[in-house]
Amino acid sequence: MDFYDWALAFHLLAAFSIAAALVLYSVLVVAGRRMETLEQTRLLFRVAPVGGPLIGVGMGLVLVLGIVLAIDSDTFQVWDPWVIAAIVLWALFAEVGRRTGAYYTETQKLAESGGAGVETDVLARLRAPAGARLHYANVAIFLLLLLDMIFKPGA
Amino acid sequence: MLASIRPDSINIALLVHVAGAMTLVGALVTAATAAVVGWRDETSTLSRLSYKTLLYAALPSYIVMRIGAEWTYSKEKLDQQPSDPAWVGIGFIISDLGAVLLLLALILGGIGLRRSRSGGGSGLLKASSVIATVLVAAYIVAIWAMGAKPT
Repeated sequence: MDFYDWALAFHLLAAFSIAAALVLYSVLVVAGRRMETLEQTRLLFRVAPVGGPLIGVGMGLVLVLGIVLAIDSDTFQVWDPWVIAAIVLWALFAEVGRRTGAYYTETQKLAESGGAGVETDVLARLRAPAGARLHYANVAIFLLLLLDMIFKPGA
Repeated sequence: MLASIRPDSINIALLVHVAGAMTLVGALVTAATAAVVGWRDETSTLSRLSYKTLLYAALPSYIVMRIGAEWTYSKEKLDQQPSDPAWVGIGFIISDLGAVLLLLALILGGIGLRRSRSGGGSGLLKASSVIATVLVAAYIVAIWAMGAKPT
């Protein structure tokens, strides 16, 4: 096994780390819409922190190792259209992810504030389409990235 | 390097395999996390979430991953070689053992969840979450093998 094989293995592991976080958040988004009490939503928010490191480390490693692989490869270049498309999609994914994270972090803070009438607001935010739409947009971008990585259009 | 210049005809099979594997690993991470966080939970909210994730996400995605694996294996004509490369062998071993462990986790979790309604079953639910955690570790090895392709 040479350097390229190791870099590819960790690039793949980083992509799986992002995917794992997306599945975790998907389950929480779906489950969150069915919650009926504030206590239940607080329990859900205790599961969510695992996704942060998974997606953070995954995003960093997948980009760095992806660029390293393109530089190291004799077959591909960093300026190949599918590599540039992947970098653009990565940036788009990061931005939509940031907005999704901000929406649910605000909901979590509201749930933990415990003030009067908070339960209705928290449940309404979890059932509102805004957060879910952002999340599903991110899942769609990730699928596009996966298609780009596998089919390598223009390569 | 060979993986990066594979023929286009393999790509759809590979997409099915990778998408299934990604969903499977994500479902296992989610189920294990929800179960472990729920160990100290008085209600069964997280245990139920963990079990439903295993049943409705991990099990179907395992089937998709395995169909994709067999399809890719056939498309790459690995079935026509005298013996499997080491990385394929690692994948098959982990996948086969993974199926047994996943079914075991589902059975233990299902019984545990049923017993939790009458105040018991916590040991079975913990066993189910431990199995899910072991499966995550095993699939990390499988992902490494699929990427690095050790000989």
